[in-house]
Amino acid sequence: MQVVKLSLKEANKIPIEADNTNPDNFAGKTEEEIKAILVWYGNDQYPLGDFFNVKVEGSDSVENTKLVFEGDVSRVKRIGQNMSAGEIEINGSVDMHCGFGMRGGKIVINGDADSWLGCEMTGGEIILNGNASYYVGSGYRGEACGMRGGKITINGNARDYLGEHICGGEILVKGSVGLLPAISNNGGKIIIEGNATMPASEMKSGTVIIKGEVSDLLPSYKEEGTEEVEEVIYRKFVGDVNVGGKGVLLIK
Amino acid sequence: MSEILIKNASVCDPAQGINCETMDICIKDGKIVESVSANAKVINADGRLTMAGGFDGHTHSAGKINVGRSINPNDARKNLVPGLSGQVARTEKTRAQVGYNTPNTYAIGYRYAKLGYTTICEAAIPLIAARHTHEEFKEIPILDKMGLSLFGSNWQVMEYIRDKEPEKLAAYVAWGLKASRGYGVKIVNPGGGEAWGWGKNVSGLYDPVPNFDVTPAEILMSLAEVNERLQLPHSVHVHCNNLGKPGNYATTIETMKLFEKIKPSRDRQALHVTHVQFNAYAGTSWRDFETGAPMVADYVNGADHLTFDLGQVIFGPAVTMTADGPVEYANARMLHEKWSNQDIELEDASGVVPLFYSPKSFVNAVQWAIGLELALLVKDPWKVMFTTDSPNGGSFVNYPEAFTYLMSAKRREEVISGFSKMALDRMVLPGIDRELDFYELAIMTRSAQSKMYSRPEKGNLKPGSDADIAIYDILPGQIDPSTEYAKVKKAFSGAAYTLKNGEIVVKDGEIEATPKGKIYWVNAKVPSAIDSAMQKDIDIKFRKYYTVSKSNYMVEDAYLQKPVEITTEGVF
Repeated sequence: MQVVKLSLKEANKIPIEADNTNPDNFAGKTEEEIKAILVWYGNDQYPLGDFFNVKVEGSDSVENTKLVFEGDVSRVKRIGQNMSAGEIEINGSVDMHCGFGMRGGKIVINGDADSWLGCEMTGGEIILNGNASYYVGSGYRGEACGMRGGKITINGNARDYLGEHICGGEILVKGSVGLLPAISNNGGKIIIEGNATMPASEMKSGTVIIKGEVSDLLPSYKEEGTEEVEEVIYRKFVGDVNVGGKGVLLIK
Repeated sequence: MSEILIKNASVCDPAQGINCETMDICIKDGKIVESVSANAKVINADGRLTMAGGFDGHTHSAGKINVGRSINPNDARKNLVPGLSGQVARTEKTRAQVGYNTPNTYAIGYRYAKLGYTTICEAAIPLIAARHTHEEFKEIPILDKMGLSLFGSNWQVMEYIRDKEPEKLAAYVAWGLKASRGYGVKIVNPGGGEAWGWGKNVSGLYDPVPNFDVTPAEILMSLAEVNERLQLPHSVHVHCNNLGKPGNYATTIETMKLFEKIKPSRDRQALHVTHVQFNAYAGTSWRDFETGAPMVADYVNGADHLTFDLGQVIFGPAVTMTADGPVEYANARMLHEKWSNQDIELEDASGVVPLFYSPKSFVNAVQWAIGLELALLVKDPWKVMFTTDSPNGGSFVNYPEAFTYLMSAKRREEVISGFSKMALDRMVLPGIDRELDFYELAIMTRSAQSKMYSRPEKGNLKPGSDADIAIYDILPGQIDPSTEYAKVKKAFSGAAYTLKNGEIVVKDGEIEATPKGKIYWVNAKVPSAIDSAMQKDIDIKFRKYYTVSKSNYMVEDAYLQKPVEITTEGVF
């Protein structure tokens, strides 16, 4: 097991783009090597060691590498981008694009996450023990597919456009979400335990379950009786008929 | 000024009938000359293939492409052709580049230059949006540019045709070219753009346009007559009716036949039909869709009044953009894709839809084959201009890949081997073994264009011509393009040298310098009495309908970088 502990030397105002801060890039590296990894800061690159105190315990493969961010990293973006295995623990809040395009492994965030959490991920797991901002698990602007696999669990609330364009994988929100969750869902599963507004518009396929209250249910769904999931009976809607969709929306 | 001597070039210059002969080329003050002094800078070509700079006669590189950019922000990160796409940071010599199908303006200039191209023709300028096109032209470095102005669904045009006023129509076309600083007359789905304003389309050459009582055939003939009356350097440039519909090859041939009676006023074709791949479909629906290329090629082989370009499909993502509004609506509905639709006031329609050409789709596979069939079945390469209708059939950065399809039957077989049986049954390409040589390729990519657009200083290496030259890292006698296609592709993907007006702009596939290119436009002279009578009519249009005033509508010379005004005398 290799554990890399990182803590910010001082809070940064300009965001750090830590797009290569993942177990794939840290596994088997010494403290000095990790400190020398370049990250974007403003319009130039600097060694990671300029911003972070780095402590490395052990040396191991990617699967057995764990990154621990101590404290708030709410101005550090793209942590865990493209990671394929291993684990990242963030004991504080994190900036945008955390877990972007991740393929495997696990990210645990003990704080809040800014927008685009788990955007375009294809595998692995993200557990957020706080609130998420906009576009969780969605796609890059203009892309037809967001998340394609893996699972995102949010133990707090999320804001608008949760799971926009998702084509696979699962998002579970224990709290409530904002406007238009599961917009253009194309095969993913989204479960919202709290409330939602205008869910699953332009859904082509996939499943959306909302256990709380739904505001402004869109009129473009066909009601097809009821369906029971885990001993709870939901009203079943199929659509969005505007796009010839066959997605399933279950609400109370 | 500067002198350059290119030594030991293996010159391929079809305009002079030179087929890969070793010779020297002399350059002085940006032009090719007979000889230079001993002080000339020497470029040793070492026997490498040397051609005039490439000339893309039909590309969407300024104007509508911007709509493509805004609806496809994800294109910015696509890097399917490394070195010619994707995100490239700025350097000392170049600005930052992004994109693949819809790259930023700087990238368009750099990437064409890397392919050895030095001139492009924007395929569609709506008159009212010409200012924007020229703003983009200004920011496309290196290349010389020109653009074709849209007239095919214009109210004033259709009224003059209906009212049988050919002289005023000529005056209007001349004024429209001047207002848009355009180079030629583009006709897109004649009448269809106006019908689309009513949610309709025209179904063929004799289907009247709603509210105007003129037919597409009348629009085509009247504009062609005006084109010749004004002695414009290019013929009418026609995107036929029924584009993208199975069975449309018949409309295409019918359109070509109409022009048999048009007498060109210059030594060039009477008609240029564009992206014929999209207009050479047989069958009656997408179920029994098949190639119509043999029928079209058959007609073209027996006719000598027309030229055409391919609109070759490249597998992968593309962005369709056209003034043919109803086609884009059909695309968007069929493919469940993003759709941009614009009404160009009194002038035309416009649409943009991204799509993906997949070799697994039998329709896309047949489309891919049709472009190549047209190029290979038409015997005379001087009738054929190579294009992908970039980015409608695919981005221009794939030209080197497409050249290998034309030059190697083995390469074609490789691609075809991935097609379904159904696709193979609907195409004739597997039975064609013709392979183009460098000479024929040079005709289709530069020399034919010189004639089609009446630009004798382009597309050839005669003394007096512009010193726009591409040297590719190929030794003609020592390479067999039909088997060594990977080498051919590599060489055409990054020219060893590209010279623009005698300045080295690309060396070893990298940008060396980024001079500003010229803008060609045509000023056709019309008698003032006819012009002022026409002005009275359009003044009414501006007062009653347009959102802008006439004085704000005209593109001024201040908008043009290094303008080159081509004057012609109208015959009245």
